[in-house]
Amino acid sequence: MNPFPVVLSLLNRNRVTLIFFVVLITFAVGLGIAITTQERAVRQGSARAADKFDLVIGSPGSPFDLVLASVYARPAAMGLVDGEMLARIMAEDSIDFAAPIAFGDSASGYPIMGTTPQFVEHLSGGIEEGRLFTSAYEAVLGANVRLDLGQHLHAAHDGFDSEEMLHEGTIEVVGRMARTHSAWDNVVVVPVEQVWGSHGLPTGHAPGDERIGPPFVTDQLPGVPAIVVKPATVPAAYGLRNAYRTDATQAIFPAEILVQLYALLGDARAIMSFLALATQVLVVAAILSGVMIILQLYRTRFAVLRALGATAGYVFLVAWSYVALLILAGAVLGLGLGAGVSWAVSGYLEAQSGIAIPVTISWQEVQLVLMLIGAGAALAVLPAVAIYRQPVVEGLR
Amino acid sequence: MLHLEAIEHRFEGRSAGAPPALDIPSLSMKAGRLTVIRGPSGSGKTTLLYVLSGLVRPTSGQVRWDSVDIAGLGEGARDRWRRRNAGVVFQNFNLIEEMSPLGNVTLAAYFSAFTDSHVRARGRSLLEQFGVPDEARHVSSYSRGEQQRVALARALVFDPPILFADEPTASLDEANSAELCQSFKRLASEGRTVVAVSHDPLLIEAADAVVRLDHGRVVERELVA
Repeated sequence: MNPFPVVLSLLNRNRVTLIFFVVLITFAVGLGIAITTQERAVRQGSARAADKFDLVIGSPGSPFDLVLASVYARPAAMGLVDGEMLARIMAEDSIDFAAPIAFGDSASGYPIMGTTPQFVEHLSGGIEEGRLFTSAYEAVLGANVRLDLGQHLHAAHDGFDSEEMLHEGTIEVVGRMARTHSAWDNVVVVPVEQVWGSHGLPTGHAPGDERIGPPFVTDQLPGVPAIVVKPATVPAAYGLRNAYRTDATQAIFPAEILVQLYALLGDARAIMSFLALATQVLVVAAILSGVMIILQLYRTRFAVLRALGATAGYVFLVAWSYVALLILAGAVLGLGLGAGVSWAVSGYLEAQSGIAIPVTISWQEVQLVLMLIGAGAALAVLPAVAIYRQPVVEGLR
Repeated sequence: MLHLEAIEHRFEGRSAGAPPALDIPSLSMKAGRLTVIRGPSGSGKTTLLYVLSGLVRPTSGQVRWDSVDIAGLGEGARDRWRRRNAGVVFQNFNLIEEMSPLGNVTLAAYFSAFTDSHVRARGRSLLEQFGVPDEARHVSSYSRGEQQRVALARALVFDPPILFADEPTASLDEANSAELCQSFKRLASEGRTVVAVSHDPLLIEAADAVVRLDHGRVVERELVA
């Protein structure tokens, strides 16, 4: 028995209506796929963006602000860790390095992040174009920053580049970092000495000393809002976190913050996934009602098939295949649409944040689509049974 | 030979006291004859055709084809019997408009045990025989006369010994009606049992036997030949 030639002839009729049905299913499935893939992509992307920030130390306050400002380059008003504490942290035996992070200024609309050459090397793995800064008046760009090498920038204090808020002097762009897939791809990175100096603070070195980076002179060290620490070992990381959770400092693994955010995201995802699935089932149910009406228009055709000798089973198979094919087409197209939308959203978010948001279709999405196809195939039995039970003679009248 | 014995048929839902839709003590339709069933509207012509073809199981009685009592078969067995033994032609042709003539003629191959290539060869031969061009375009673009000939070819694709037709000339012009009558005569002369419900004087004139029904009863039998 081959139902498909008859099914195709049925699909050929009412094409516009059927395309509309398939589009509805496609959008319903696409919505669900986009939600689940995007949630996972954001989770993976944000975790990868924090990879190079093992331990962040700042002054007591909101740990979320500390992580957002230092890891995700979202500057916030924060207290400072004083210079003496910075020197003590940098002198710890159990670390590979500690890098001060200073922020709050901007240039040509891009946030300025001040740090050490060592941290730039650690974060980006190297300079892709030009060279690393060697003086307090030089800068390197993140991979997404649309400025040119050789350009001279004016640092502004307020993030709006207002003329009255400009710091004195200019900063020359001398290089561009390799892509980090983090928020730092969207920032201008300068030596921390540039930030200190432009605010009239000591630069961590003896007066007249133009060097940048450690070692610093303790009594010349101003405060910083954040310090990124690369512990030498995992036990050392936990030791340092405990040691710097004091009245004067807070020490955070960015992963701790992300876990809390993901728990929130996870709850939201569970709710949205449920709503998306419910939407899909409702759409399929609504479409089945429409299909049942359309199939009633074909009852003469089914009756003729019976009159020509087709069994009731064959007619059932034709009606079932007809409905199941519509749902299958919508579900498969929805998988493609959902992935496409998710990729587009990721591209937009990546351009906005600099954080790579990798979209992947996992078994979870395939399961979602298979569940819908399974439910659709089961529900398709209803119109098929209605056709199956229809008296032949009624259809021939 | 198709033979009806003590047939009574009542529609479901009608009151028990109402007269039956069909009440035929005995009626035979011989092979090699074109039998036309005529009668006023509501006389039971189409119901009789459905009973003869196994589409409707009578309330009581027998419909015999050789040694088989069609009325005693289950629904699936009647479907199989019809597929092997009968072709049906409808008043409005009831072709699948989105298919080509050949697609329509070979339609039954999709739900039968016949091989597709065998059925297609037979379908092409029938279309040629009835003068219908075998083209890929939809059958709805063909003339009404051609569409009815496609419907006739579809009914004959498995070379059945019985042909049923329900008002086959009702939507044809005179020339096409005359041509179809000739085809029916020829098919009967080849040894088939051809049974048609019709008011068409052309078809009645061409018939070998005429059965007139009124209120579900046979009121006149006329053997023309």
